[in-house]
Amino acid sequence: MIVSVELLPESTLRDAIGVLVRLVEAAGALIIFLGAAWAFVQFVKAGLRGRDRVAGFNRIRLSLGRFLVLGLEFQLAGDVLRTAVAPSFTEIGQLAAIAAIRTALNYFLGREIAQERAEIARGEEAAPLERPAQGTPS
Amino acid sequence: MNAWLQAAAVLLTGAGLVSAAAAYRITREARRALGVLLDFLTAAGLLRLAGDPAWDGILTAAAVIALRRLIGSGLALSRAAP
Repeated sequence: MIVSVELLPESTLRDAIGVLVRLVEAAGALIIFLGAAWAFVQFVKAGLRGRDRVAGFNRIRLSLGRFLVLGLEFQLAGDVLRTAVAPSFTEIGQLAAIAAIRTALNYFLGREIAQERAEIARGEEAAPLERPAQGTPS
Repeated sequence: MNAWLQAAAVLLTGAGLVSAAAAYRITREARRALGVLLDFLTAAGLLRLAGDPAWDGILTAAAVIALRRLIGSGLALSRAAP
């Protein structure tokens, strides 16, 4: 005689994971939205000042990129949770697609950050050389 | 939740247009303004990925990111050319 006691019914597990997935994905969406809203406010403030503030502009853009990457990581966590209970081929495919998007975005954002840092460094190096040239009488 | 996400994505697209105009005013470079717009479009695409991700949303986000890189490298090439 086999006695089976169901300690954790599968339906309960499914419901619990469903709630967790919603929470994690909502957190990811919130991070992306708040990051973009913050960047929007900063861009508008800097734009209203109207001066050449390229260093400040780069800083805002890099922060926006970091928010995007963080939000993406939450979305990926949500998708991993989603596949924990009943992975189907569709879910696995979607997880793979999102992971690919995240990896590509991470890679390109990293390259952009390095590029912009190099541009700033070049600008700082060039500035002291240009000043005496502009100051010399013709 | 999907209706909220859609509304947020539309808001971000509008915010991206305004931010791109502000970025152009700050830097006087169309390349940087376009980069800002594409950052915001990427954020909007990622918001559409949350909730119940459908293949449409995933393909849209992937297309925006691919387009962003294509335009970015095209502009970099045109800048490098004499």
